Amino acid sequence: MNMTLAKRLAANGAPAANTILAVSGVALLVTLAVTFYYLIAQGHVAFATKSEGVAWGLPIITYVFLVLTSTGLTFIASMALLFGFDDFYPVAKRCVWLAVAALVAGFTSLGLELGHPFRMLWALPTGMQYVSPMFWMGVFYSLYLLFLLLKFWRMELGDWDSGLSRLLGIASFVSVVIAHATLGLVFGMMSMRPAWYSDMMPVYFLITAALSGAAFAVFFTYLAYGFDRQAMPSGVRELKSSTRLPNIFATLIGVTILMVVSRAITGYWTNLDGMQAVREMVASPWFQFELWACLVLPFVLMAAPRLQTQQRWQILASVLVIVGLFIGRYEYVVSGQRVPLFKGAWIQGLAEYTPSLAEWMITLVAFSLVFFIYAAGEKLFDLAAAPEGKAGGTAQMQAA
Amino acid sequence: MARWGMVIDLEKCTGCQACTAACQMENSRAPGESWQDVLFYTEGEYPSGTLKWFPRPCMHCENPSCVHVCPVKATYKTEDGFVLVDWNRCIGCKYCIIACPYGVRFFSGEKPLIEPDPRKVFPSGDAHAWNPPWRMPQQQEDWQHGVGVAPNGVVTKCTFCYHRVSQAPKDAKDLDPNDPKTRDYTPACVVTCAPTARYFGDIDDPTSNVSKLIAEKRGVRLLEQTGNKPQVYYLSGEAAAVPGTRTQKQA
Repeated sequence: MNMTLAKRLAANGAPAANTILAVSGVALLVTLAVTFYYLIAQGHVAFATKSEGVAWGLPIITYVFLVLTSTGLTFIASMALLFGFDDFYPVAKRCVWLAVAALVAGFTSLGLELGHPFRMLWALPTGMQYVSPMFWMGVFYSLYLLFLLLKFWRMELGDWDSGLSRLLGIASFVSVVIAHATLGLVFGMMSMRPAWYSDMMPVYFLITAALSGAAFAVFFTYLAYGFDRQAMPSGVRELKSSTRLPNIFATLIGVTILMVVSRAITGYWTNLDGMQAVREMVASPWFQFELWACLVLPFVLMAAPRLQTQQRWQILASVLVIVGLFIGRYEYVVSGQRVPLFKGAWIQGLAEYTPSLAEWMITLVAFSLVFFIYAAGEKLFDLAAAPEGKAGGTAQMQAA
Repeated sequence: MARWGMVIDLEKCTGCQACTAACQMENSRAPGESWQDVLFYTEGEYPSGTLKWFPRPCMHCENPSCVHVCPVKATYKTEDGFVLVDWNRCIGCKYCIIACPYGVRFFSGEKPLIEPDPRKVFPSGDAHAWNPPWRMPQQQEDWQHGVGVAPNGVVTKCTFCYHRVSQAPKDAKDLDPNDPKTRDYTPACVVTCAPTARYFGDIDDPTSNVSKLIAEKRGVRLLEQTGNKPQVYYLSGEAAAVPGTRTQKQA
């Protein structure tokens, strides 16, 4: 505990963490510099978003993707911390830290997109606009970040099971369930945007957030040990070699496929004005790639008994699912806005949107930040820590 | 207190866009930031296709979804019926642009409609987004009510010419551009409308001209199913109907 920061940095983490920290640090600096150049020299002119078409562009899509991933990572951590699946303990702490990283990166992407982000600090509490879903999204995601950091602090102190630690675990789980639901309502309550309007949106976000979190948990656990299962501590290795994790992964992919396909069929079938964009979405090659390569293929890999426990297929499945979910968020956010309301004099047909370089830079800032915060965590803390007696071994026997 | 509303007679509207131009001048808007617009669209196919048009200001809804979604109460509804944006409060999240079923909101500082960007040609040395050559008197500028040249990074919209209407005599129930007593307080689009297709008055007062027009000529509101209850009524009569769909792309 008395180790200096420098000693900790030198001592902790797998060799991979040094490389990730350096690469993501450089990427973060470069992308931030380019982003600030655009924002200062050009302002929002540098964005491809338009009032008469797609007003919420790539930075918002990145925000939605990352905060829902954070939500899912908390779900995975809660498997051990709240729901008694002890074999998840070896990845729980890393998941909590990754949840912090994804959430902070998501907020950064949102903040760089807003016209006046710092006004939120006083305008949200003084406005108290309790009928706005976005107000509640802000409240609950802020509370979630607070509880998550406090929970991580207790885990770092080795306090996994005290009353306070359990309470913080419950608080972060409950706050993120509410937070992701309010994010679902930000879109789902918009009756003037039929491609979004659905009371099932919080459920859709719940399932896909859990899948996103599971994919991140699988990918980053392999990353932490240089994609080598033999380098893993026994508890992590046993979780990866068991059928439990791929079974959960496959189930989440399966339910997501069901939801994506049912949405596509509804969009194709309906005559409702406002749903035209869903048809276009389904007809695009991106959607086909998302469905077949990024959902169906990983589902097969994670459901097939011979393949599901193998390292290479788990890594491939997690990467494909991450890519597929990002495409899915993109399609979802954009397709809700492509029908141009009453601005028809200037737009014939559906509004077009291609992200600008400045918007891509914000997305890269956010992703660099995820890797940077994650690697810093590997260096500063023992992310593989688990409570004594629950670091693996017995749970695997039961699961098998 | 009056609750201001507008009536637009589609039988009289010629689609000349004078209202759009007058609004741009009165409110110092950039090209493309058409608070008031006339939308042109076609109906039917050759050989029976027809060109139609539809004038569209902000509806200043009774139950405005843009106000409900704003997370910081920057957009608000006044007692006398205006839906306004406080530019000192707006965080520029654009949620109101998403939530307005009528597409009447604009983000200040986004990609220009035309090149060269007029805001670069007439740059501002202060917090204003630009310094347009057509600009209302400085003393009329009022950012709390979204009036004047906006700063960058906020949402702007039609104010029903708040800077004019809010100064109207208290006993006025109709703001008629042909009446010298009320002409200066009448919204610019109503004053300029050559075929007098626009009327502006107190829709809560059953004796006002606008209320009578709505009652006698069966005024209708756009997209009633959204529940926003616009305070802009259209008289369609024998002429063009209020469009039901929002894009030419068939569902």
